[in-house]
Parts: sequence; C-alpha cells; structure tokens
Amino acid sequence: MLSRLLRQFLFALLHLILNFIVGAQNVYCRYWLKKHSLQDYEVTKTDLKLIVKHIPKLSKQPKHLVVLSDSDYHSIDDLARMVIWSLVAGIPFLSFYDVSGQLSYQEEKLFNAVEKNKKGVPGCIKWSKKPDLNGYTNGIPAHKIVVNIFSCQNGRSTITQCIKEMCEEKIPYNRKSDQITAQEFDDVISAVYPSIPDPDLALFSGPVCCTHGLLPWQIRLTEFISLSVDYNLSVESFVGAMYKYSKCDQRFGT
Amino acid sequence: MSLWIKENCVSFFQLFCIKVIKTGRVPQHIAFIMDGNRRYAKKNSVDKSTGHHKGFDKLSETLKWCLDLGIPEVTVYAFSIENFKRSKEEVDALMELAREKFQNLLDEIDQIDEWGVRVHVAGRLSLLPEHLRSLVSKVMLATKDNNRLCLNIAYAYTGRDEISRAASRIIDGVKENKISPENIDEELISQSLDLGEPELLVRTSGEVRLSDFMLWQISNTVLYFTDVLWPEFTIWNLLAAIIHFQRNAPPIKAEDTNETAHEKKEFLKYLEQRRAQELTKYIS
Repeated sequence: MLSRLLRQFLFALLHLILNFIVGAQNVYCRYWLKKHSLQDYEVTKTDLKLIVKHIPKLSKQPKHLVVLSDSDYHSIDDLARMVIWSLVAGIPFLSFYDVSGQLSYQEEKLFNAVEKNKKGVPGCIKWSKKPDLNGYTNGIPAHKIVVNIFSCQNGRSTITQCIKEMCEEKIPYNRKSDQITAQEFDDVISAVYPSIPDPDLALFSGPVCCTHGLLPWQIRLTEFISLSVDYNLSVESFVGAMYKYSKCDQRFGT
Repeated sequence: MSLWIKENCVSFFQLFCIKVIKTGRVPQHIAFIMDGNRRYAKKNSVDKSTGHHKGFDKLSETLKWCLDLGIPEVTVYAFSIENFKRSKEEVDALMELAREKFQNLLDEIDQIDEWGVRVHVAGRLSLLPEHLRSLVSKVMLATKDNNRLCLNIAYAYTGRDEISRAASRIIDGVKENKISPENIDEELISQSLDLGEPELLVRTSGEVRLSDFMLWQISNTVLYFTDVLWPEFTIWNLLAAIIHFQRNAPPIKAEDTNETAHEKKEFLKYLEQRRAQELTKYIS
C-alpha cells in the first residue's frame, strides 16, 4: 500500500518536473524568437536572403515536401509563407496535409494569401486544382512549384476504394501469383493519385511525431523532421529542417 | 536459461523505475524498428553477423522489459523484403541466425509457454527458404494459445506487401462469396492485415523514416526516433520512449459500439482458418 503510494507520488513528480522543464523551454524559445525576428505576416526580404544563402549549400533537397498543417495552430499566412519559401528554395512539389480537416475548405483563402505574398518573387506556382494563372517571368528561368492539399480522405479511404473496385472488377490489375505483389498493387494505386513523386520529407511541428493518416501508401521512405516543438513556423526552422534532411542518406530496409 | 526472454537483466533499481512508470498509461502495443546492428558492428570493428547476434540478444532483453512493464503486444521489424537485395553472404547469415533462434525457441517451448509468449511471424512467408518456413510455421502453431505477451516478428515483410496480400485475400473472399463488396471498409482491411495498430513505434539509430514498416497501422501512432544503435539500446531508452508516449499519446479511442456486421465476422474467422491451414501445409 505504502509502496504503491510512493510509486504514484514519484510518477506524478516525474511528470510535473518534465512539464516544468518543457514549459520553461517553450517560454525561453518564444522570448528568444520574438527578440530576434519580428513577427511578420508577410514574407520579408531577410527571409528570402536567408534561404538563398543557405539552400544552395545543401547536398540534397526534397523533390516533394509535405507540411503537416493543423489549423488550430497554423494561420493561412503561415502556410502561404511556407509556399513562398519552398518556391525560392526550388522545391518542385509542396503538399499540405490537412490534419484538422479545415484547410480543404480554405484553399481559396490560401491561394489569395500566397498571391499577396508572392509580389516580386520570381517563379511560378501551380495549384493542382486550378488552371495556370500566375505568370512567367520574362524569360528568366525561374522555379516552379506545384501545390497540393491532401487530407485523410486521400489516405486509407482511397486504398479501401481501390480494393473495392478491384473486387468489383471496375479497375484492371495484374495478378501473376496467388498473392498480389506490392508492385502490382502500386500500379493500381498510382493510377488513382496525381502523378507526383512520393514525398521525401514531411515536416511536422509540435511535441509529437504522428502521421495522422498521411498517405499510407506513399510514405514508406519519407523522412519525418520537426520544424518546432511549439508549432511556430519560422524561416530559421525551415532552413534548419532542410539542413537536417540533407545530412540523411536514404537507404531501403532496416 | 531462456534465450528468447532474458532473465536477470533487470536490477532492483531498474525494476523499481519500471514500477513507477507503470503507474501511468503504458502502450498496449509497441513496435520497434531495430536499426543499427551493422553500424554497431562497424563501430566496434566486428563482422556484420556478430552485430546481428548482438541485436538478437538485445531483443530478448527488451522482451523481458516489456513483460515487466506489462505491455501485451510487441512487434519487431526483423527482416525486410528489400533486405534480400543485400549480399548473399549476409542474407545467408541472417537466415541461419533466424533458423538457429527459432529452433532454440522450439527447444525451450516449455519456458516460452510459462512466460505465456505467443509468436507470430508476419510477412510473405513464401519468400523464405523451405526449412525456415516450416520452422516458423511450427513455432506459430506451437505458441498460438499463449496470451500474456504477443510477439510479432516482421520477417520478409514490407508494409506495402502486407496491404497487397490483404487485398488479395479480400478479392478472393469476394470471388468465393464469403464477403460482399459493400462490406469492405477500412476496419475490414485493418483486420485482414497481419499486424494490429501499435500505440508507440520506436526506431533506433537516428533514422527518421518508416522504411516500409506498418504503413497502414501507424496513422495514430506516436513515432519516437532515437539516435542510439539497437545493440546499445538500454532500459533507460525504453523508459524515455514510454515517458514521451505518456506525455503525448492521443486519448484512448472509445470502443466502437456498432456491431460488426455478421458477414464481416464470418469472413475474418474464415481468414483465420485459412491462415492456419496454410501453416499446416508449410510444415508437411
């Protein structure tokens, strides 16, 4: 009895101390960040300079970047800046994964916020659900980025739908042996998704890494890297995550 | 002494810490990507197979810790289908290691039963050499009634392959009129897979990707990446992962009150039977 109470007490104490340490850390980070960078809602020249300075130094860059976005913590302006940074960094495909299920309804708003931020930045942004609108820059070779928004509807549900339609023989598939191989199933899956490469990098923020159902079929080699523990999306953390990514070598298997 | 579950690897103080941590929520299913055996071998200038042996020893220690923590299900990624592409020498050594260890398990089956460990090997078994396939089938059938700790070993496994095999079974089920297409949903697919959903996934050696492990199952899993190499993994690393889980775990999902359709239940039972038949076939 006594030892149980002691154990419970120590358990509570341990978590209390951890909460205190993490809390203090967060306050420190926020204070430090406030002091060093003004909280702007638009992309600043300093942001872009930082990216242009560091990104060319990296040995490798993601082709397809996914940002796990949660409307409870990230504003549309945060995400719009992310689009511009990725464009300047030369990332060809950027996707937002809609964790809280709000972003899909706000695509128009995001589009407008990006347009507002894009002023003067060379490059072309293609929205997969929109026709090409925004322009080309007078023959100067500029970066091009394709933006997608995915939600949990594009994950398990899509795979389930595929299997259903395979059963009903609505979609053709190959089956050479008793059991369908991953390659044969991949042929079916790739026909359903837009033809973009599998994500190489997923950026998350907050204290815990969780996919929340992000594209199960496509994430087998995706690296998960944290942007910040307090959900803050700053250009420094973006560049920092890119550095982290470029140091990893990609291997198959364990 | 048991080889699969290492006894006497927990000091009095460690046991006390385990008991303290256990007062809180403990993951009901924990998965490990046991990465870093080869890097460990390189670091300590021993050959790769020594690294893999060390890795197995660590697994037996980890199983003891999990038993002490009261974790009822542990899944480990032992060998990926992609690993068949490694040098013949290394693949042969790994197959030999598996054969030796599964043979040991059968030899000490009384102890395994005493611990209540159920061993399930998940993967495309048809890719294994015949003797190993029959051995793992024997192990699975011999331990199928144990229920204190379920140990899933992903061998000749990838997440994509697992989904594809589940799809094949469901398609066959429809063809044989065991299930109708309307009854195919995410839940049915989840239950047709080899592995269940873990609450915590630990990957060692600093890699931050899944490497095609449990792709379908980890949608709501807490992913924990740590820099330590697998053979150097200690109880403190495990406890740190569990504390991280306790701080950040999503709330426990309320049990689905909806009755699963009768047809689905029947279908899943049928799958179970088919699997058992397949295993018996592999033995003979």
